[in-house]
Amino acid sequence: MSTIQVRRFAISDSPWPWLFPLVALLMVFTIYPLIYNIWLSFHEFLPRKRTLAFVGFSNWIQLWNDTRFWGALGVTFIYFIIALTCEIVLGMAIALLLDAELPGFGVLRAVLSMTLVIPPAIAGMMFLLMEDPQFGVITYFLNELGLLAKGTPILSTSSLALAGVMVAEIWQWTPFMVLIFLAGLRALPAEPYEAAMIDGASAVQMFRRLTLPMMSRVIAVAVLLRGIDLFRVFDYVFVMTSGGPGTATYTLSLYAWQQTFSNLKWGYGATLSLVSLAIIMVLANLFIKLFKVRW
Amino acid sequence: MKDSLRKSYLASITDRFVRGQMSRRDFLGAATKLGLGAGALGMGFGNRPFMLSKAQAAEDLVPNPEIIAWLKDVGKPFAGTTLKLATESTPPSNAINGQLKKYFEEATGIKVEIEVLPLEQVLQKLTLDVASSLGTYDLYYIDQSWAASFSQDVFDPREQYSAKADLAMPNYNLDDFLPALVDGIAKYEDRWVGVPYDIPIFIMIYRKDIYEKLNLKAPETLEELYSNSKIITDEMGPNVYGTTGQMKSGHYSLECDWTAWLWGHGGSIFGPDGKFTGNDERGIEALEYWTKLKATMPPGVDGWTWDGQGQSVAQGVAASMLSWGEFFPYFDDPTQTKVSGLCEVAVPPRASSLRTVKETGYGEIPGVGHQGGSSLAVSRYSKSPDAAWLFMQWATCADTQALITTLGGGTGPTRASVYDDPRVLANARVGAGTTRHLPIVRETIAKHMGSEPDLPEWAQLSSDTIPVGLGKYFAGSYGSPKEALDDIAAQVDAVMKG
Repeated sequence: MSTIQVRRFAISDSPWPWLFPLVALLMVFTIYPLIYNIWLSFHEFLPRKRTLAFVGFSNWIQLWNDTRFWGALGVTFIYFIIALTCEIVLGMAIALLLDAELPGFGVLRAVLSMTLVIPPAIAGMMFLLMEDPQFGVITYFLNELGLLAKGTPILSTSSLALAGVMVAEIWQWTPFMVLIFLAGLRALPAEPYEAAMIDGASAVQMFRRLTLPMMSRVIAVAVLLRGIDLFRVFDYVFVMTSGGPGTATYTLSLYAWQQTFSNLKWGYGATLSLVSLAIIMVLANLFIKLFKVRW
Repeated sequence: MKDSLRKSYLASITDRFVRGQMSRRDFLGAATKLGLGAGALGMGFGNRPFMLSKAQAAEDLVPNPEIIAWLKDVGKPFAGTTLKLATESTPPSNAINGQLKKYFEEATGIKVEIEVLPLEQVLQKLTLDVASSLGTYDLYYIDQSWAASFSQDVFDPREQYSAKADLAMPNYNLDDFLPALVDGIAKYEDRWVGVPYDIPIFIMIYRKDIYEKLNLKAPETLEELYSNSKIITDEMGPNVYGTTGQMKSGHYSLECDWTAWLWGHGGSIFGPDGKFTGNDERGIEALEYWTKLKATMPPGVDGWTWDGQGQSVAQGVAASMLSWGEFFPYFDDPTQTKVSGLCEVAVPPRASSLRTVKETGYGEIPGVGHQGGSSLAVSRYSKSPDAAWLFMQWATCADTQALITTLGGGTGPTRASVYDDPRVLANARVGAGTTRHLPIVRETIAKHMGSEPDLPEWAQLSSDTIPVGLGKYFAGSYGSPKEALDDIAAQVDAVMKG
């Protein structure tokens, strides 16, 4: 192609010159790694021979018999559902409280965004300190309230460890929900509320019949964004419990990381990542269809 | 200080730390002064435990001029070369990287880039390097448990020394390396997989003041360790506990503790037929002992790696530990801990019985003094193997090791002569960077050292299968030690079968 042809092509109506940079980036950083990962899932690294050997579907078959995988999947779903529910409920409640023009609320709204700038690993370390069985602030209050026996290590007790990790996640990401919901709430028209008040509707009725339906698209976007993030949870678990005690907090991402980088099972690690990706895609699309989310 | 005030202050410093108004060092210092929970400080991200506790000002410690002159002479042809090494954060690597490599670089013109990484990332980088044969790294830091895996990928230093007479450092003396370390760390079958580079090893560290107050003597047997710990916990708990551990579920440190108790009760990880034997009678006895001993440790011990374990002694929460000797110089540093001068060392408690190497598998060497050493070797894929060999000789020669030992805060040398070096002996007093524990380290290496087996699957078994199973046991997921160990045995078998 000559220089003149290139120039003509660039100034033509064709979208390709403008799409090319983005497509190239997608190819390099998304499509190629995805294809490579799929290829890798049919291979396995052999440490003794230092080669990748073709193993067919054995990594995929192994999934069905791998109790650690099913356990990690279960933990991930529990984490995903509980943390997401808490973040939505708390996020909406705080957003409703802050949706007013009272003195200091502007500052309060700005302060809320502060948790979001902390790297999750640091937040995990902070909660590790606060949940220490001897000197942790959270442990102290739980002890004082009689909700936790003295000396009980939250993060080393099977029944409590996941909740201990989730607290950090919820603390850090609920403000994200608040900010999104608050933006949605402040954009709602005032007229329907005025009409409802004239008709004598209660606050609960207005919330159920007006706020929730009008906010549905905003809620859906927030749920999608947080849901995807929650399903990939890694940092908090890695820092706070390393998946323990035993496998009580082993999530799918941690298991995939561990298989890939600790056990050097690159093929199986890739398979686990693909399963995680597939589940996220199915859930996200299902959610979009069920709740008729339009972008 | 009132508990509530302490917590309020803790919240305040945490806030300042998170906002970037306080360095991590200051934050940890303040937290330590607060008597903050050891587990909280022991976050354990895979780096080794050892804190740099400087003994002398760096300017007082310089390399031998004769060695520098030799480096200048032989290093000329390699000027401009860049060498790369990926290593864990260990005293030798930290001392070389931070304070010593400048002397090598100035003398030779060779640039040395040292990447300090968590152990599993070092393994990952080396594995990729050998799989691709790219020679990205000229020198390999090889954990003792990887010797089998990388034995064919590095030069045998004995062959290098004899084959390249013009590059052989005068008086390098390969025979000076402690024979037990050569066998336990650097040898696989008949090959040397590099030379012993560092040697963290379990020794008994205890609070002499508390032991004297309660009329106790340093434990000579495992039963004495338990009875001492129980007495201290009964008398001084919950402020002070008898002993402590590194028992975080799923972490390699948990496996390290397990081996000491297992070997100490006459057990072994593998039998001569390569089958897992950690679940035999001796293995069960060891786990029962450990369960009993854990009751004398601070709450939260099963959330700690080596960091938390060390902090629990440094903060006066625990009165003893059977653990890495390299903590000792840190404990003796009055600017860092509240136990300076109060700790003493002893060889590990005697095993009730010990299996011989022939009774175990994969070169496992039973001994209560668990060692976690590593070797340094030149990669066969290096594009500058001669320059790398020069660096390796300098980094592991007696003079450099003596500097590392004093600069690096009393880390255990791997050469016999360094233990008697005047610079090292001069630091054998209470205070920062002490070397007064080194005679015990040396004796432990010679008489009590335990080494893990060498097999390619060991990385997975030691960092996942075994510590996850043990973590489940201590979390109460099994009905008995036997049930837990049988389950671990089944999982080990599955890993071994691939």
